[in-house]
Amino acid sequence: MAKKFHLGWFMTATVDDWNQPFSSDGNPWGGEFYVDMAKAMERACFDYIMLEDTLMIADAYGDTTETYLKYALMGPKMDPAPQAALIGAATTNLGVVATFSTMAYPPFMLARLCTTLDHICTGRFGWNIVTTGENHAARNFGMDELPPRQQRYDMADEYIQVVNALWKSWDPDAVVLDRKSCTYADHTKVRPINFVGKYYKVRGPLNTAPSPQGRPAFVQAGGSPRGRQFAAETADSIIAAASGIEAMREYRTDIRKRAAAAGRNPDDIKVLFIVAPVLGETKRAAQERFDLYVNSPDYIVRQLSGIGSVTDIDFSKFDLDKELPRLITNGEQGSLDAFAQWGSGKTLRQLVMDRAKRGLEGVIGTPDQVADRLIEVNEEFQGDGFLINSPFQKISRRYVNEICEGLVPALQRCGVVRTEYTKSTLRKMLREF
Amino acid sequence: MPAKKFHLGWFTNFITDEWSSTFAAGGRPWDGKFYINMAQAMERACFDYIMLEDTLMISDAYGGTPEAYLKHAIMVPKHDPMPLAALLGANTSHMGIVATMSTMAWPPFMLARVSNTLDHICKGRFGWNIVTSGENHAARNFGMDELPPRQQRYDMADEYVELVKQLWASWDQDAVVLDRRTGTYADHTKVRPINFVGKYYKCRGPLNTAPSPQGRPAFVQAGGSPRGRKFAAETADSIIAPSAGIQGNKAYRDDVRAHARKAGRDPNAIKVLFVVAPILGETDAEAQAKFERIRQHPMFVERTLASISSITDIDFAKFDLDEELPRLTTNGEQGSLDAFAQWGSGKTLRQLVMEQVSRGLDGMVGTPDRVADNMGMIMQEVGGDGFLITRPHTTFVSRQYITDICEGLVPALQRRGLVRTEYTKSTLQETLREF
Repeated sequence: MAKKFHLGWFMTATVDDWNQPFSSDGNPWGGEFYVDMAKAMERACFDYIMLEDTLMIADAYGDTTETYLKYALMGPKMDPAPQAALIGAATTNLGVVATFSTMAYPPFMLARLCTTLDHICTGRFGWNIVTTGENHAARNFGMDELPPRQQRYDMADEYIQVVNALWKSWDPDAVVLDRKSCTYADHTKVRPINFVGKYYKVRGPLNTAPSPQGRPAFVQAGGSPRGRQFAAETADSIIAAASGIEAMREYRTDIRKRAAAAGRNPDDIKVLFIVAPVLGETKRAAQERFDLYVNSPDYIVRQLSGIGSVTDIDFSKFDLDKELPRLITNGEQGSLDAFAQWGSGKTLRQLVMDRAKRGLEGVIGTPDQVADRLIEVNEEFQGDGFLINSPFQKISRRYVNEICEGLVPALQRCGVVRTEYTKSTLRKMLREF
Repeated sequence: MPAKKFHLGWFTNFITDEWSSTFAAGGRPWDGKFYINMAQAMERACFDYIMLEDTLMISDAYGGTPEAYLKHAIMVPKHDPMPLAALLGANTSHMGIVATMSTMAWPPFMLARVSNTLDHICKGRFGWNIVTSGENHAARNFGMDELPPRQQRYDMADEYVELVKQLWASWDQDAVVLDRRTGTYADHTKVRPINFVGKYYKCRGPLNTAPSPQGRPAFVQAGGSPRGRKFAAETADSIIAPSAGIQGNKAYRDDVRAHARKAGRDPNAIKVLFVVAPILGETDAEAQAKFERIRQHPMFVERTLASISSITDIDFAKFDLDEELPRLTTNGEQGSLDAFAQWGSGKTLRQLVMEQVSRGLDGMVGTPDRVADNMGMIMQEVGGDGFLITRPHTTFVSRQYITDICEGLVPALQRRGLVRTEYTKSTLQETLREF
């Protein structure tokens, strides 16, 4: 019997897929488009929807914003917090995870916002912890450039301590609502935190009532060694790039080892690998769909702009028909490594063609075929599951339908994903199996 | 001649609803549904806007301990109004949604971005209530030992508002082209960094959001001090003003309008709304009895003193209730202290407390018709522009109170032609300028 696994969806509250034969109007800003998506996901019993975020408009590709704005790559987007509130209020079981950067939110504000959202989401809220990886984003916050990666992680370590202390500043039973004594809350169960650190100083306590989960579920990506350590020590769920089965196995094993060394039960961390299925009624239809996409005239520019924006690297400078030189970034090293497939001997053009598959072969086909492949991959290392990500850099209602009414039912028929919700909070759902 | 119409808002916050009175069983409105219902009731009554106030700390001014604040839920718990504003916006179609965000708490890029997103979600009906934060304990939640001095806070706020205005203008309103033929979403020549370098703030920009219906949120502000009035007069679409009697209100509004003219603005572009807390009943006697029940509540004195302590940073637990107050000054809200203390009146502290319920205007206790007549008369004397309803002192909003206002008071005002009976404008800024 194959191991049951978890499903999430890694998306951005950005422009929907507006310029295809079957698409909407490119105006999702009222929030309804992504609420509809979440409702479809909830019908399919997903664990969570994950709203990614970034805080700048890139100009990495060719040193201009032109391709980013023309193709609406990574933006414009909505602030994920209000969109998360709308999704939380419109659903009853789905987990709702939003990305908030430790660079962008004073810790008191983030702690308060997460508590507020966990209430609105009735215990189903999660925080995707990021430190932000682009210099242009830092420049929107008064800096000339990002701090170096190690310092960002040092700051994030301290930041997590602050917000954890804030979430504990109220005992879960501090609100008493005692009519006889006219007492709303018991002051002996609420305490300042008086945190004084190297980077942050916060008196506390929070001014919010304890939320159903007490703290949000923690979600994280972490590619670099320091990132892996941070994720292993903290996360309830980890977002991971899939770069072939061996790399996936290695990553998950390493995370579990680090978690155990930090005194955690490795089973408490669900490592979900990003996959980008391309579906069709027949394998041929799916393949044609994929071929049409990767052969479209602007495909290469769009992909290079995308990977350029998270790594601050101008890929327009490199010859498409040569190997990439070895590169490092102060941005997303994990994403760069996954894209670049170091040592593979592939040309830049081949890497770009590969990128649409997000590192995993066999996810182009009918729902049953792709389901079989995902089960096969997961079984290789008894993994925890997958995060859907649109292969087309954008989401359409059609694609949501193909996943939620096609792929997930195929997985359900194989008995590897849930067919109903039985847990009341996101953290409990993640530990369901 | 028909009386001039005036505007209505409601000054509330994401705090507990009424949890312990006869017709209320709340206390945990944190999923937002109570306030969604409230906003929908207000929209049926054609309010201009709902305003979500905010503060960022738990006080311990009264008795040096947070005990009274937690016991009576005075300004705590208070949840982040920003996500609630999204829920209210998505569940209404005409009413304005205003949220308080502090320049101390929000990096300017984040405030500009979230305001843009909320204006989209509210379909052009979002407003930002501009505050700088006024409590040392709040500053201590943000790494400071105490607040900067007031003048510096206003200097910083001036720069902050200039910065976010530039961010909102960093995309031309027609930057999004959605050209299917060329596959172009947005025209990069219509999106520009702002490269803002100020004394306090530095921001490259541009925003990474598409232009919202209003281009920028409506600006709402309170402004008590002279510097605050000037700031509000130069910037705000609507001003929140405490009630200070008819003459006091008229003087305040005239002063704001004079500041506006001096700054080159049309004074009619700023709607000054006076905070009132009506207490309503089917008869005048019933309303009066409600008023008395509020004042005679066993917790009334402690709640009132704790509230006034928290906004003045003075520990009123130290004073004898049956003596006059000594003369006091505060680094907090001096205006509120003066209004409360009635210097020179010879009244005891207990007497001052009992008089606190009126909140600065007479004639707000009675039947809807009586109160509506009174509000009309006040507007005639003051000159405009309207009122901000708030719940009576030491009470919380309840469904009953919402009904009293929305199904009692507002219809009485509507019958007198004093407030709108339908919405005709599609954005909050337009709604505020409707009359």
